[in-house]
Amino acid sequence: MKFFEKQLEQGVFQICYCKNCNNTIWPPKEICHMCHEKTDWKKSANIGKIIEFSRSESTYFGLIEIDDGIRVLGDISSRSIPEIGQVVKMSVSFNSKPYYSFIVENN
Amino acid sequence: MNKVAIVGTGQTKFSKENKNTEKLLFESANNCIRSISNYDSNKIEGVLVSTNDNSKYLGAILSETIGIEPKISHSIEHLCSSGTNAIISAYSYIASGLLDTVLVSGADSATNPGQVLEWDKSRGNFEHPIYWASMLTKSHKRKFQTTEEELAIVSAKNHKQAMDNPFAYSNEPRTISEVMNSKQITDDLRVLDCSRSCSGSSSILLASEEKAKAISDQPIWIIGIGQKTTAASFTKNILEEIKSTRISADLAYKMAKIESKDIDVAEVHDAFSVCELMAISELGIAPKDKSGEFVRDLFNTENRMINPRGGLIGAGHPLGATGISQTIEITNQLQDKSEKRQISNAKTGLIHNMSAAGTSSSIMVLEN
Repeated sequence: MKFFEKQLEQGVFQICYCKNCNNTIWPPKEICHMCHEKTDWKKSANIGKIIEFSRSESTYFGLIEIDDGIRVLGDISSRSIPEIGQVVKMSVSFNSKPYYSFIVENN
Repeated sequence: MNKVAIVGTGQTKFSKENKNTEKLLFESANNCIRSISNYDSNKIEGVLVSTNDNSKYLGAILSETIGIEPKISHSIEHLCSSGTNAIISAYSYIASGLLDTVLVSGADSATNPGQVLEWDKSRGNFEHPIYWASMLTKSHKRKFQTTEEELAIVSAKNHKQAMDNPFAYSNEPRTISEVMNSKQITDDLRVLDCSRSCSGSSSILLASEEKAKAISDQPIWIIGIGQKTTAASFTKNILEEIKSTRISADLAYKMAKIESKDIDVAEVHDAFSVCELMAISELGIAPKDKSGEFVRDLFNTENRMINPRGGLIGAGHPLGATGISQTIEITNQLQDKSEKRQISNAKTGLIHNMSAAGTSSSIMVLEN
């Protein structure tokens, strides 16, 4: 398993970026595609906003934008119907595939 | 560049049962060769196979199975648009003068891989296409006030049109109300809004101008091609648009020296109901906020201009065969051989095939 997945397993979403040109690299890779320097990692702030959402059975899921414009699909916990632009807090895990979970802040 | 024409076509019936990919390829390739009277298949110089099957060496296997020794044979994979990618590769071999006749055969079995792109980390555990389709649908409703009924009409129309397609996996009619009351998969997607993975195969024979005129008395010319890949990750899309389709359409129209209003008939990639609405907008056939209304008018007036064979929703979606089946339908339409599905006086037709939530699109314009 690679660093990104190992860190997800530990509950940490690592953002891959280039120290040379400060470009965020998503999905993560070892070399920056802009300046071809080696990339580095920084921890996500674990905060995102809802871009779009739907519901499967009783679970809301949606497209969430986190750090530096990175967008992922994940489940959304909310006591009421989520709203576009709503701020969500992220938690992550890994079990053969990534799991991104979001909870609506001030829920 | 040499001109390139379609001179032969062959298909198998699509079905939900698993079938052997090699056998499917042979069946449609054989039907394709038999569609040309007195054709010596030993003259085929290239064999390209489009599939998401993990089997190896299928170009050579198909060549041996049909008893030929081509100069070039190999496979092409590009998820749901493998078929048109294979045709465009064959076009390039002929246009460059490297080959003069190429057989393109596409096939997949119902459970072949290709629906899920494991590489795309951004999908998390929402890997299946129903999740990106739900995002596109919800966003389309929000942005363009698209109604549940308008989405259901896409499916009802395509199921109705597929009733006259002998190769469709199902010939059952579906009313608007049946679609709207079909099983809810997510809040924004019902089961009848989705195309189904199928087993099936389609083949097409392409030839240079000189060979085409010798082989066929009704060659159909490929006059425009546009392709664009914007990403592989779904989440790099802007939800309200399919940028790769818009760019591909511009390229194809320029090459063909036509405008969208010149299109008489089109097969578009309705992997889900919303995809047809988005595709016809990006192709310039209907405005973005009027695409639902446009499809409603087609349905009410029984105008089969869009997806006459039933599209992916009505006919089924064997990934590697889909783009080739779309091309066969437009070929038949331009040859005036589509029987009950025939659009009268069709001169110019379009094929729109795409992959992975529209991150890549391929468009071809054909003319008779």
